[in-house]
Amino acid sequence: MEVNEIVQSKAERGFKYALLAPAVIWIIGLTFFPILAAVRYSFANYVLGEGITAYVGLANYARVLTDGAFWYSIFITLIFVVVTVPIEVCVGFVLAWIITIGVPGSKVFRPILTAPLFTMEVAIGYLGVTLFTDQGGLYSSILAALGIHIDWLSTASGGLAAAMILDIWIWTPFVFLMSLATLAAIPKDIFDAAMLEASSHWQVFRHVAIPLAWPVLSIAILLRLLEGFKSFGLPYALTSGGPGTSTQLFSVMADLTTIQFTDFGRGSAMGIVYLIMVSIVITFFFKQMRKRMN
Amino acid sequence: MSQDHSKNEFEKLSAGYLAGRISRRHFIGQAAKLGISAALLSRIVSFKASAAESNLLDSSPDYPNEAPITKERVEFLKTKPYKGQTINILVLKATVGDGLKYWVPKWEEETGGKVNVAEVPIDTLHQQIFSDLQTTHRYDAYMTGAWFYGDFFVPKEPYIIEVAPYLKDPKYPYWTPDDWIPAMRTLYSWQGKVYGVLFDGDCQILYYRRDVFDKPENQQKFKDKVGYDFPNPPKTTKQMYDVANFYTGWDWNGDGQNDWGIALHAKVNEQGFFHFLTLAAPYVCSPNNKYFWFNPETMKPLINSEGHQRALEDYVKYLACGPKEAISWTLGQGWNLFLAGQAVMEPTWGDLPTFAQDPKESKVRGKVGCTIIPGTTEAYDPIKGQWDKFDLNSCGNVNGGTWHCVISRFSKKKDPTYDFLAFMATKKNAIYNCTHGFTGVQPGMKFEYFPPVGTGKVEEWVEQGWDADEAKRYLDGYYQNLSLPVQESYLRIPGAAEYWHELDVRLSAVLAGQTQPKAALDDCSQSWERITERYGRDKQKKLYAESFA
Repeated sequence: MEVNEIVQSKAERGFKYALLAPAVIWIIGLTFFPILAAVRYSFANYVLGEGITAYVGLANYARVLTDGAFWYSIFITLIFVVVTVPIEVCVGFVLAWIITIGVPGSKVFRPILTAPLFTMEVAIGYLGVTLFTDQGGLYSSILAALGIHIDWLSTASGGLAAAMILDIWIWTPFVFLMSLATLAAIPKDIFDAAMLEASSHWQVFRHVAIPLAWPVLSIAILLRLLEGFKSFGLPYALTSGGPGTSTQLFSVMADLTTIQFTDFGRGSAMGIVYLIMVSIVITFFFKQMRKRMN
Repeated sequence: MSQDHSKNEFEKLSAGYLAGRISRRHFIGQAAKLGISAALLSRIVSFKASAAESNLLDSSPDYPNEAPITKERVEFLKTKPYKGQTINILVLKATVGDGLKYWVPKWEEETGGKVNVAEVPIDTLHQQIFSDLQTTHRYDAYMTGAWFYGDFFVPKEPYIIEVAPYLKDPKYPYWTPDDWIPAMRTLYSWQGKVYGVLFDGDCQILYYRRDVFDKPENQQKFKDKVGYDFPNPPKTTKQMYDVANFYTGWDWNGDGQNDWGIALHAKVNEQGFFHFLTLAAPYVCSPNNKYFWFNPETMKPLINSEGHQRALEDYVKYLACGPKEAISWTLGQGWNLFLAGQAVMEPTWGDLPTFAQDPKESKVRGKVGCTIIPGTTEAYDPIKGQWDKFDLNSCGNVNGGTWHCVISRFSKKKDPTYDFLAFMATKKNAIYNCTHGFTGVQPGMKFEYFPPVGTGKVEEWVEQGWDADEAKRYLDGYYQNLSLPVQESYLRIPGAAEYWHELDVRLSAVLAGQTQPKAALDDCSQSWERITERYGRDKQKKLYAESFA
């Protein structure tokens, strides 16, 4: 009897390991090794065609940490994330709430609201050029008709604002969809009961909908934060980081340094510093989220 | 005197031999009488053997897509030599990429081969080429900008192959590097050896509206406002600015909208920085100084010299004579402003007059004037650290991509790859390319220019839809630029793309008002120093010297 149990448990264990194996291989191959390689390159001088020509200690890190352009790109990225993510979350959730409480025409709005989500960021970026250009762009023309002139693509603030508007346009539907699914999963009786007690939809929204949807909403915020910190295609297609470096988010700068100009040493050091910084932000966010849920 | 006579005789003799008018035996005999060395004769004869010796035909009715064509080539094509073979080429997603794609079906029809073309935008082309060379080796050939060349020669064995062995084999399409304008040949070569196959030949000159410049009332208005006779066309950078400024902000074309003095494009990570390189050249390069980029002794950057700084200050002023949004424009957007008749000048590549020929794209056909880039009356010698005065210091350039294909040394299909590239380089196809705007190709061969500098015919251009006078003006301006005694050197060392990018973002920052010219160029100089250190100062210095050779 005992022997059978041992044999069975060995077989079970083997089966478990077999199931785990693909995930482990995936993580080791596509996360662990690339990070190790990046750490190695970050201590090296790399030249295209020659490979690593010398190990330079912390020189790449010193250069990154004293590089004004690096800190500027971090600053721009933070502004980008701090502005876009809250707007996307708030607008996405409010729209989901409006659809949930059943305003007229909600069935029509649902596909319209989600359409941008299915378009590539790069395509939206190029579309943005045609929307914001002074030479007959749709937004510029509408604003001009109202007597408003904004230098969207020729100034730092205009370029950044245009990139943010497009980012909000693409990603609000993501929060909207997640929120809609969450609100739909909450039994309707709860809202009906709450409406009897409350004096308005606003009170139900604030005291019932948000707390009940919070676990999923917090995941949506987390995902948007992560994506926001990595945002690349849209700002790159829209302004290529310019004018100057005014809209050069970190990801654009990292791409130029590492991929386009093959400075793997500095690019890797840059990536590792950024990884540490983003990890701190995300860890802080997780802690706050847990506290709130408790 | 007698030496000159011998030289002239030998030139006539060589021309006759290369054109097939005299036999090989007669050529060698006569040349020997003139005292020409056996080594030189052997080189000429072996070059002649490349194809012409094999009875070059003006054309073949069986293979009308290339001309001239050798008899060996005609026989070779009868076998459909590349049937079942596919080659992969990475090209720039732009007009030059479209130009290459145009020839694919024609070559496939002739040879039985197949060509896959992958297109990537300019901002990722360098990265795609070199990541493929280092990893997957998916492509047999790459369309390269001439400034990528240094990077191909970093490994001990270059990433790309020489094309000389193919040139000697008459079964391949006929073209010869000897037809190149010398300045262009250099951009296809490294240390005297040819690696690229003819496609494009870039340089920037100034295009302007002749009809607008010629109007007496405009000239009078200019004189009243600026205080001197209208310079038609501008000869100095100061005159160019005065003209641009004069034509900015009023409706000189009568369409009811205010127009502009200059069309430029300055989006970062595009090709706008070439405008600065072109316009800055006469502020630094002169009969007293040929170095624009680095001090050849120390490899210290010269980019923050007083000359470069003044050029950048003026560049900011030029840009203010166009739409504010030009700071985020790509190349095509700049051209469109001129082609729509809303800008009076544009310093750019030859695509502009080529597009101007198409009435669907252009309102300015027959109205385009062409001249060399205006010069300066003083230039800064950054090596000696002093300003030198000149009556007029004009400087030529070969700025641009001079886009063409090179063959990967890792390619397993080098023969069909070369065949396809050489097919586009045959005279008939090269002329087609440089006379059509959609191909993005400019003239770089002698047979594309008119006598006395070339062997081309104006009728060939008219047949392709050109206005005869405009073709003459265009080629005259282009050739004048290429033959100026002072030329801006072209940066072709490893990391050139990176050096230029560092400059590009700082130019853009200055244009956007983020920083001032001196601070930007000082900062650029420091970043260039770091790039030089990374690649190795001594190696860069050596390659910089070689790139001049």
